[in-house]
Amino acid sequence: MSSKSDEQKMDRRSLIKAGVTVGSGVLLASAIKTSTSVADVVGGKSTQIKDLPKGMADDEFSRMQTELLKALAKPETENHWIMVIDQRKCVGCISCTVACKAENALPPGAVYRPVIEHEIGTFPNVRRSFLPRPCMHCENPPCVSVCPVNATYKRPDGIVSINYERCIGCRYCLNACPYGARQFDWGEYYTENTPEIQPYEKVANYEYGIGRVREKGNSPIGNARKCHFCVHRIKKGMLPTCVTTCMGRATYFGDLNDKKSLVHELIGSARVMRLKEELGTKPSVYYLV
Amino acid sequence: MLRKAYYSILVVLSLVGVWATFTRLSEGLKVTGLTTYSTWGLWVVFYIFFIGLSAGSFLLSTMVYVFNMKQFERIGKAALLSAFFSLLAGMVFILIDLGHPARFWHTLIYRQANSVLSWEIQLYLVYLLLIVGELWLLLREQLSRLANAADGFKATLYKVLTLGYSVPSEEKVLEEHRAKAAKWLKVLGIIGIPTAIGVHGGTGSIFGVVAAKHYWNSGLTPIIFLVSALVSGAALMLLVYAFMGPENGEKKSLLNQLGSLLILFISVDLLLVVSEFLVGLYSVIPDAKEPLLNIIAGPNWYIFWLGQIGLGAVIPIALLANKNKTTYTSGLAGLFVVMGIVAVRWNLIIPAYTTPHLEGLNNAYVDARLVYEYAPSTIEWLSSLGLIGLFVLAFSIACNLLPVFKNEEVELNYDRQSQGLSTSIQA
Repeated sequence: MSSKSDEQKMDRRSLIKAGVTVGSGVLLASAIKTSTSVADVVGGKSTQIKDLPKGMADDEFSRMQTELLKALAKPETENHWIMVIDQRKCVGCISCTVACKAENALPPGAVYRPVIEHEIGTFPNVRRSFLPRPCMHCENPPCVSVCPVNATYKRPDGIVSINYERCIGCRYCLNACPYGARQFDWGEYYTENTPEIQPYEKVANYEYGIGRVREKGNSPIGNARKCHFCVHRIKKGMLPTCVTTCMGRATYFGDLNDKKSLVHELIGSARVMRLKEELGTKPSVYYLV
Repeated sequence: MLRKAYYSILVVLSLVGVWATFTRLSEGLKVTGLTTYSTWGLWVVFYIFFIGLSAGSFLLSTMVYVFNMKQFERIGKAALLSAFFSLLAGMVFILIDLGHPARFWHTLIYRQANSVLSWEIQLYLVYLLLIVGELWLLLREQLSRLANAADGFKATLYKVLTLGYSVPSEEKVLEEHRAKAAKWLKVLGIIGIPTAIGVHGGTGSIFGVVAAKHYWNSGLTPIIFLVSALVSGAALMLLVYAFMGPENGEKKSLLNQLGSLLILFISVDLLLVVSEFLVGLYSVIPDAKEPLLNIIAGPNWYIFWLGQIGLGAVIPIALLANKNKTTYTSGLAGLFVVMGIVAVRWNLIIPAYTTPHLEGLNNAYVDARLVYEYAPSTIEWLSSLGLIGLFVLAFSIACNLLPVFKNEEVELNYDRQSQGLSTSIQA
């Protein structure tokens, strides 16, 4: 087992040594491979990724992708999506924040995944640590129990969702969330009060699988909004956008119910912690400190 | 002259309020100064203020109609009327705070048994019906008489308000009707007490149950709410009766008694506030300590010291304790307390957004709507002041049109009842 992982490490090291051109070439190839197999799965032809280049098959990314497809083959009730964030790998580039903003066409006043910076110690013994904060998708979500109209609910696969058409925008859930993860759509645009509201602010987002253009008076304007683990992407066999854009590969995603999955392996670490455990919310987002 | 000025100011305020509310409804919540992290603002402050005023007024009225405290008989109807208008005002304030006001009916269709807010909205409706029922029982006889006496618009109005009731010609039947009304008033009042406590204690629980906000998450929160509700209810009645009540020999003694009651309520309220602050400030948990520190020594310190303590407690107690006070001094004390309670409500909502959810979250993303700061926008101020003007106007007109301070018949009935009661006790 250990010799195998050593080999893997060697593989990776040599890959890096091979230089940016070769490395990116391989990555591109794997990306193409991956996307074709995704298309296969969506078309219902196959659940396996075939013909990955040697070494790449065990890459964490490909592994998460394979496991995602495996988990999607199961009924929704048997999934329990979790996210693992390795703080030692996070460099604080905020790619995930930006990617998430773009993916969900988020307006001013809403950010699903900010990255909190902490400075620990004093010079010269100082370290910066970064804490990306998506929605925790708690097992006991305080935001769900306070909603007066049942507009927010826990899905069987663990994702805390919002029914935009039902939400009345009372913002009780924003108060109830201990993590500040709940956002609100105030109906603003970044390019408001300029000659023209730019078209990129009027593109549809596909949250919860429904294409919606933000327009005055219509949902999601006036609604509570939040990170949904990119459920629209998951359904299509894609990892959440913060996972795929993380250049430090610090964010992992997978099915906790799959005992052989990468995320299941990772949360066995002694470095694991969850935010505000004392509140009993049981977050589905784990941090490796 | 003074009367004319009073009504003109209220009409202007109402027009401004209607315009500002219309602007808010057409433009959406972006016209507010609210942020994603400072979630609730001025409208929620006034929402809980008016719900408290309503519950306080209603509980005062139950003293008359349930506990037979005859000395407060003269303000019974006015208290119910103010409970009615305050409740409406509270509901309008929470309505315009919604992101989707047009979907308010969802709260009645999609119920959620775990949500305090869901229960509250149902309770408000039950409570509204109770108040309307009580008011009708109290006013129907005189409204019917007035409908016969008046003509034109007033006659139609009174006729509609009687809901088809007309005074029977036979004295005996009338007596029966009165006895029945008194009995039903008692029943409605008895149902009303837990409802009013539920309405306001429940409104306090909306905040009390939020574990994410240390400042709110206490068993004391709903109780402080209730007691402040009683304070505001008694103060409003003092104000209304001092300035609008009929001038007669009873007026001074009634105001004195109301004043003593108010001082009692204020004292209990202060006791609870002191307890809350001592325990909270002893803590080293930032979420528990910071909001309290922010209240007493933050940039808005004056809201607590001048508003909550000065206007809400010290000045009115000094005014009421004065032996040579006039009716207007009492009324002024009432007005100050009502304004002080607005400060109390502000200090419950706004300081809860002092500390970030997670350390450093306030600096994680730069955005004007992702800050832990809040100042009401112009539209928020104008709509709030305007809507208050509108409801004060409606209440004033109702006080003048309806026979709220004239209650000879019912009083007579109560006299007889209490006489009967005392004779039976003697026997």
